[in-house]
Amino acid sequence: MTFFLFFALVGIGLFTLGLYAVIVHPHLLRKILAVNVMGSGVFLLLVALAKRSDSVDPVPHAMVITGIVVAISATALAVILMLRVKGETGRVKLPETPQE
Amino acid sequence: MSVLIFSIHWQVMVVLLPLAGAIACFLWPRRGVMLALVCALGTTLSVAGLSWLVVVEGAQRYTVGGWGAPLGIDLYVDGLSLLMLIVTSVVGVAISVYANGYFERSRARAFWPLWLFLWGALNALFLSADIFNLYITLELLGLAAVTLVALAKGAQPLSSAMRYLLVTLLGSLLFLLGVALLYHSSGSVDIAILAERLSASPVVWIALGLMVVGLLLKTALFPLHFWLPQAHASAPAPVSALLSALVVKASFYILIRLWLEIFPPNNFVLGQLLGLLGAAALLWGNLQALRQTRLKMLIAYSTVAQLGYLFLAFPLANIIGWTGALYMLLSHAIAKAAMFMAAGNILRFGGHDSIADLDRIVQRLPLTVTTFALAGVSIMGLPPSGGFVAKWLLLEAAIRSAQWWWGVVLVLGGLLSAVWIFKVVGYAFTPSPVPHEVRAVPASMEWSALALALTAIALGLFSSWPLALMMVGLPFGEGGGS
Amino acid sequence: MTLLPLIFDGVLGFTLLWLAWQLLGSPDLFRAIVLFIAFGLLMALIWVRLDAPDVALAEAAIGAGLTGALLLAALARLGPPSETASLDNQGDRASVAEGGGLPFRRWLVALHLVLACGLGYAVMSLPSAAPGLSDAVANSLALSGVSNPVTAVLLNFRAYDTLLEMGVLLLALLAVWSLGSTPDAPPDDQPVGGVLALLARLLTPLLLLVAGYLLWVGGRAPGGAFQAGSVLGAAGVLLVLAGWRLGRRFAQLPLRIMLVAGLVLFMAVGLFVMLVGGDFLTYPHASAGGLILLIEAAATLSIGMILAALFLGIRPDSRADQ
Repeated sequence: MTFFLFFALVGIGLFTLGLYAVIVHPHLLRKILAVNVMGSGVFLLLVALAKRSDSVDPVPHAMVITGIVVAISATALAVILMLRVKGETGRVKLPETPQE
Repeated sequence: MSVLIFSIHWQVMVVLLPLAGAIACFLWPRRGVMLALVCALGTTLSVAGLSWLVVVEGAQRYTVGGWGAPLGIDLYVDGLSLLMLIVTSVVGVAISVYANGYFERSRARAFWPLWLFLWGALNALFLSADIFNLYITLELLGLAAVTLVALAKGAQPLSSAMRYLLVTLLGSLLFLLGVALLYHSSGSVDIAILAERLSASPVVWIALGLMVVGLLLKTALFPLHFWLPQAHASAPAPVSALLSALVVKASFYILIRLWLEIFPPNNFVLGQLLGLLGAAALLWGNLQALRQTRLKMLIAYSTVAQLGYLFLAFPLANIIGWTGALYMLLSHAIAKAAMFMAAGNILRFGGHDSIADLDRIVQRLPLTVTTFALAGVSIMGLPPSGGFVAKWLLLEAAIRSAQWWWGVVLVLGGLLSAVWIFKVVGYAFTPSPVPHEVRAVPASMEWSALALALTAIALGLFSSWPLALMMVGLPFGEGGGS
Repeated sequence: MTLLPLIFDGVLGFTLLWLAWQLLGSPDLFRAIVLFIAFGLLMALIWVRLDAPDVALAEAAIGAGLTGALLLAALARLGPPSETASLDNQGDRASVAEGGGLPFRRWLVALHLVLACGLGYAVMSLPSAAPGLSDAVANSLALSGVSNPVTAVLLNFRAYDTLLEMGVLLLALLAVWSLGSTPDAPPDDQPVGGVLALLARLLTPLLLLVAGYLLWVGGRAPGGAFQAGSVLGAAGVLLVLAGWRLGRRFAQLPLRIMLVAGLVLFMAVGLFVMLVGGDFLTYPHASAGGLILLIEAAATLSIGMILAALFLGIRPDSRADQ
């Protein structure tokens, strides 16, 4: 197995770990961390597989830079929402059942 | 005159005008309303120009940056995307007029740039022919929609906005992982090139599976609808309208585009599965709607149900089924926006939206009750309305493809929605023993809602034009579907 | 002969996974965020290993640095950690009980293992050598106006993506400002530590220099608007931490103009070349380099300002309004 395939598999590991954590952990800050880890996993897969030929493919690199900027935008919004939820409800987690 | 129309790059205008409007509203918040309305008008005119171009010259491919796929990004507009753009404009103009009366100054300052950003994201999404570009438009759309939900005050809107944000980010990441796998198996992110190069291999199936799940999460197909009712119900009324009418449809549009263009042909099982989930959504959503005590919650659950209709086209997989689903999308967008706006009027008028206390609004808000009833006619699918045409087409498709049981589901869903609509209208007509405190509703809010409801009815009377438009560029292939 | 890089890669990859596991499972949120920053730095190392220096720069500055700072600031605003941690744990137990307890989690784990195996199988079954678009990029690079292929993709071939992405960044700021004014936002007049102020005074000029360099060199070497902008943003964060705030008059329209300058100039250039006679964002080959540098300069400024403003979290002029 070549090393870029190994890193692609690590990326899948990160994605799955993050997905599990985002479902299981109730604390919002940890959900935000988990979404970021998931994103990193996808980025790693995208760039690792770009190294399959001798000349590195720059298009995935550009996509990942775009993705990193999108990720921090989403994180900033998530953080402010989390703080507002804390301010309104006093808790840093979502109510369990979305029913009325 | 016609030279002018053909020389302007309408595709670009359709995307850039709302974005420019958003920036202008951000720079000069005091003039927000005026700037936003000018932009809404400009965008609508651009969509009209683009429609002319497409109707006269057929489907258009536009190379941004002059490189062309696979190196560059292409925009592509055919009947399907044009229809989405037009719905967005119709609903968008009505919502802009409505929001002008709805928001007080401090929240208007936040609303206008966010709403124009969302409009720009929608238009960019409908035009894009590049799946990575679609990912960015999805993020733009998601972040704008979440923030708009959070504009409502209180703990519940904030919690549902937070949940909505997590769901939409999750959906985007699943989509992006699919994009990454497709890019690395074909060397392109352009939909047309993908369609040529992809064959049914495990990677392609897994990638498409990820993308479908991500999009279903965003479209809130049962059982992934858990986030929708609260988010749509607790948002400010114009935001509820645009979420139910447009935002959930955007991810559905991508799904349908991928399904028609790049899915390998032997997707029978997946189509049946989507149809089953759609049927479940239809029944579950309507049953839940019946149980609700608050009007906006009820309408939100009805969105869950109505989204189910859209998925009935997947197992039918013929051209009539697709046009039926699209017609449902069109009429639901318009009718549901009208209904949420009417609910917003009622909420504003009486200070609450408890269904059991809807009495007396008939005498005081006759226009709003008319709006609700007319929109209800389309949602139930009674003639003459857009909903009726859509259901008729779906029924015909079910019979043609010898899968009559989908027709049964269709009729059952219509009956269930009739029950809750008559329940609401019935309460509204009950004379009230208790006098309520009331607040005036601006005329612009009542008339814009009514205009949309009338449009939903008109869709039943003049169905030939939208149906012909859908066929431009043959988005459903020669024989339709697969 | 190839043993050493093999070990190096293995250590990198497994440490990354271990860090992710730790940061997602650690009961102490402060520790989790610190681990997240370490995770980002390790990612940057891996990007270098994968010949992606542009991504490495962006990751180190944005992924590890600014995201980490943002999360740490958020944690500080959440209040005392003991209280939140106990709430978290209570909730944890409650959710396990409600969600069907252990069997539910077992199913979830099994499901994720299946997902991971499926994805792994998909990756392994990809063709082992695929050039992607590297040939297409190489063939058109001479016409793009820059010689760094990543910058060429970001600002020429796929410039439309980048334009929309600038929109995402601006939208995030709009969102944060609309929702801002958290009840327990840090007071503006907090006492500033002498060390921090000194650090800010020393580092800010250096960071400005680095940002300028990255911007200038981005056309032909790793660097560019996003990397330069994030360094500028880091300088802004440092200044914010040191207690520096914009003057009230400047915090109004002039600030907003600077925040949108990148996106506006990008759109304006795109439209201008369209009027000259081409498609949107089709730069004439002769002037492509200059136009790209122009766009990047404005984008750097806006990205830096937006990132710093995202960190600050509230409208700088919110007091003037009231």
